[in-house]
Amino acid sequence: MLFATLISFALLVQTAGAPGRVVNLVLPRSLTAAEGVAVELKLGVLERGNEIEVKTMSGKLLGVISPYGIRSGEEAGTYTVPVPPELVANKRLSLRIILDQHSRGKRAPTNKELRGVRLQITPNH
Amino acid sequence: MPHKNFPFTRRSFLKTSLAAAAGAAALPIKTYAFSPAQTTTYTRYNVMSEGGKKALQSYATGIQAMLNKHPDDPQNWFRNAFVHLMDCPHGNWWFYVWHRGYVGFFEETIRNLSNDPTFAMPYWDWTAQPYIPDSMFDGVRTPTYVASYDTYIHNLDVFTAKFRPSLEAYWASLSAAQRSQLNVRGYSTFQDMWNDVTGNGDPGNEAFATTANARYLSRTNPKLDPATAQDCSAEIIKAGLQPTDYYNQNVSLSFTSSKTPSHMTPPGPNTQFSTIEGLPHNKVHNCIGGVGPLGPGPYGYMTNFLSPVDPIFFLHHANIDRLWVSWTTKQQQQGYPILPSGSELAQLSDEQFLFYVRGDGQFVGPSRAADYLSTDRFHYQYEPGFGDNLQTSNARQKRVKTQVKGVVKANRATLTVPSNAVREHLAPQATALVAEVTVPHPSTGSQTREFHVLVGAPEGVTQADPTSPFFAGTVAFFGNMSHHAAGGDATFAVPLPKAPQAFKGLATTNATIEIRIVPANGGTQQPPLLKRATIRAL
Repeated sequence: MLFATLISFALLVQTAGAPGRVVNLVLPRSLTAAEGVAVELKLGVLERGNEIEVKTMSGKLLGVISPYGIRSGEEAGTYTVPVPPELVANKRLSLRIILDQHSRGKRAPTNKELRGVRLQITPNH
Repeated sequence: MPHKNFPFTRRSFLKTSLAAAAGAAALPIKTYAFSPAQTTTYTRYNVMSEGGKKALQSYATGIQAMLNKHPDDPQNWFRNAFVHLMDCPHGNWWFYVWHRGYVGFFEETIRNLSNDPTFAMPYWDWTAQPYIPDSMFDGVRTPTYVASYDTYIHNLDVFTAKFRPSLEAYWASLSAAQRSQLNVRGYSTFQDMWNDVTGNGDPGNEAFATTANARYLSRTNPKLDPATAQDCSAEIIKAGLQPTDYYNQNVSLSFTSSKTPSHMTPPGPNTQFSTIEGLPHNKVHNCIGGVGPLGPGPYGYMTNFLSPVDPIFFLHHANIDRLWVSWTTKQQQQGYPILPSGSELAQLSDEQFLFYVRGDGQFVGPSRAADYLSTDRFHYQYEPGFGDNLQTSNARQKRVKTQVKGVVKANRATLTVPSNAVREHLAPQATALVAEVTVPHPSTGSQTREFHVLVGAPEGVTQADPTSPFFAGTVAFFGNMSHHAAGGDATFAVPLPKAPQAFKGLATTNATIEIRIVPANGGTQQPPLLKRATIRAL
């Protein structure tokens, strides 16, 4: 299972206050000047029209996952969202993952909706 | 290396290679004017440019002509959208290439029906213009235009009466190969397919939309919402163009989404969406269709697989295709492959696309993905937009995609390499520059079988060990020399030293690299004469 080991990199914490799930991620090593970083999210079944927001702890929106072409009841797959490398400090990065239900508000995704998160080092080319 | 049999944009390849050879810096796209190349027949303009505005006039003429076609006619506007519903790949590595074919044949249809022989599909660069162009709210360019659309999509009953009989007849005419592909898609019966038109009880899955609901964004609300604008932002697009592999099983390093058994394989738990498909592509579709404000559905056309009913679809996908062209050009500039190789290339290329309709209204019949891997089939190029000529400060200088050969004289090879390439080579963890040195086999009975390769060593230096800044490596011959044919050569790949002392002229445009070989371990025998030396980047 692709994410079976990857989840170990992420400590998922649901916090009070701001909606969403805080994910604390650790890189296996420091980034070089020639590298960037992306966060990969493996999603489960999302209700039609629901979306996943990826934000920094300060609230900056990094990207929104909006499944398209997914059959009802089917898991939505894995998505990659670029992260500005300057957000990584001491090989660590914290993100807030939010399920946007639109008219029904925002909340933290469940374990079935967000199945795994990991960081990926990406060479700049 | 680019695939040798792949004729993709030879013109742009030549142009960019020359620019790299001259050491030209990447040019910001906004700083130069665009002149269509004389060798390309059609130009897909930015919809905001004068060329784009002119194209939109013909686009409207063509749309109306397609709307006027009988539902039995494959060129009918809605029948054309059903090609997408029945055949489009998402979440796999045929996403780009299938849509290139789909947009390309559609473009020929509009060219034909608008009587504009110059027509090419304009693109909507949503990074630069994160709003639907105002002109796309005029007349038939919006599916909410009652005068042209309502007779078909006033409500589902009207739509069903108009199209279901024609589509059932079409379904009955499908070949065994087409039916087999549709089975993979989950459409074993006509009703399976039709359930995605009606939603089959799930309003969010209803591909049909009424005229009033056909497009969520409007002339008074044309902007992509902030979340969608973020997914279309410069930083996301730059990241999406970064991968150097057409396909990589690690999705963050892959330009395309998952490799699947068929382009019809529906997305599922193991699907991995690449950045450009997963973020801007998907989010623009859903934003225009009203995901969020119209939840839980039904949504406008763009949200489901009848999305080509909305004319903005083709401008959106022209932009996606343009980004593929941008990525391809970047790959060529940097010396990376633009396609997979070997069996992977065969797997990609041989996939059958069976549902396209030509510009003259006839079915294309069986065609292969290979037919659309380049832009040559449709003879177009793009007016530049965001994403073209992007290079990060860390981008490799593309120098070594063409190998640099040395001049060999008296057992010494001298090579000239762009200094930028050497500086990058010297950076920690950078991809290495490698010398390929060719020497003859030592003669039978030779006691010296190992030789050091020295780079930039001062004249008097005849020995070096791995601690020396001039030491590149050791080449060794193995086995009984008598087994080697007389006069045979051997070529060794040796990474160049990571020491600036080994290179001359680093402060200038081109650095000089001198390579010698000497007997290893203090041997006194003369080394074989260096015959050739070449430098490549890994």
